[in-house]
Amino acid sequence: MTARAQRRSLAEKLGLLRELELFSGLSDADIEAIGHATTMTHCRPGQVILSPDDPSDRIHILKKGKVRVYRVTPEGKQLTLDIYEKGTILGDMRLLGQQAIPEAYAQTVDAAVICTITPDELRRLIERHPIIGVNIISHLSRRLQEAERDLEAMAYERVGQRLARKLADLAARFGVQTVRGTLIQARLTQQELAEMIGTTRETLAHTLSDFRSRGLVDTSHHQVVIRDAERLAEVAADEDGGE
Amino acid sequence: MIEIASPFPRLSASSLPAMSGAQMAEVDRRAVDDFGIDLLQMMEQAGSHLAELVRVEVGGDLRGRRIIVAVGPGNNGGGGLAAARHLANRGASVRSVLARPVNRLSPAGRHQIATLLQMALECCVAIYDVPGEELDAELESADAVVDAVLGCRATGEPHEEVGWLVRRIAASSAPIVSLDLPSGIDSDNGNAAGVAVRATATLTLALPKAGLLSEAGRAHAGRLYLADIGLPAALYAGLGIPIDVPFALGRIVRLDPDP
Repeated sequence: MTARAQRRSLAEKLGLLRELELFSGLSDADIEAIGHATTMTHCRPGQVILSPDDPSDRIHILKKGKVRVYRVTPEGKQLTLDIYEKGTILGDMRLLGQQAIPEAYAQTVDAAVICTITPDELRRLIERHPIIGVNIISHLSRRLQEAERDLEAMAYERVGQRLARKLADLAARFGVQTVRGTLIQARLTQQELAEMIGTTRETLAHTLSDFRSRGLVDTSHHQVVIRDAERLAEVAADEDGGE
Repeated sequence: MIEIASPFPRLSASSLPAMSGAQMAEVDRRAVDDFGIDLLQMMEQAGSHLAELVRVEVGGDLRGRRIIVAVGPGNNGGGGLAAARHLANRGASVRSVLARPVNRLSPAGRHQIATLLQMALECCVAIYDVPGEELDAELESADAVVDAVLGCRATGEPHEEVGWLVRRIAASSAPIVSLDLPSGIDSDNGNAAGVAVRATATLTLALPKAGLLSEAGRAHAGRLYLADIGLPAALYAGLGIPIDVPFALGRIVRLDPDP
């Protein structure tokens, strides 16, 4: 188990935070192509289409209808985690290096149509649509790089440098340009950001406030705006981390 | 309205500044960004005080009391979930009813619900996990209902699942204790754009919201209380809001409306 996995919060361990967004990097056309190449199942309302006992390597694409993902409490009661609409890809994400929701079930809310893909089918799909394979590879390698960089960062870098790298990384993935700078479009608590770079919330708050006073970033409502990407990149590269 | 003997010190509402929703948003931001008082710290205090007010509202002893906590997707809901933990710790039988699925809660709300699940407390999502009739019966027979669906950032008419839950709470005849302000009323003017909760008591946080002191707001808020969530006077001073020391006599105070 990696250090990162060990540091997962209680909420995450309970499987509450996992979004089912497998293939998020794929275009609508690719997803459409996958949908066409597989067998469709017409489900009746209330049908359980995914359970923890299922083979862990299947992918389901919701073509039509709504699906409710829930977990069962120790007392046997259901707790709805999310409701997904058509176009969502459900299923075990280990295939793409992501973790599955433990103890999660998925049940159709209405009459839904679902395409299920086995690993063999996926292989055939990649032969036919090589772009799907390319996308999966880049998705995986990005995750791998992130994981390696995170590990390296935890071991050797100082907090300021780690934070600068993480912010640059988040800006590249979730950033949108605004008049104030690059807004990272993801609501993050200081606790979450601290966990990402393996530090305490207090140290993170201190470092963020230092970044703010140096005009590197601005923060409000759990959002971060990169004010000076160039100097932030310098901090990220600098051995001394500018602390 | 029946008056109960209140153990809380009293304060005239007019002795404190009334805050708008936008001002409160700025107060929250400064608490987190400038003073390092994070959301979970504030939420913990809100939840703990809310449980204390519920104790008084149900007659002084939480043991064996059935409390339904109605939880919205924002941080008001997170405060309700923190209160659910305190209520259970203090002997109440608690069921939390979420307006929206777990993944749609704010990060702090998810943090709170993870703890409740670990405690094996009853949690369910309205519409999907609990039928309307069952919920209505629960809301009717409860010793108290905690309304933590919408807070002071909500505007306009509650809609979809949130509106569904607010409508059902509003129809209940059980005592209702609202967190920050009754769900469905506007924090600035106290008007209800659609369905709104008529609370037995309201615990507002940090400073009173302008809407609670308006005629319309007062009609919905019931007995109005103010709770300390630990924000320093320096924070308000930085915003040009002068305040006296509202919590010198206790961390929950009863606010008397102006004559």
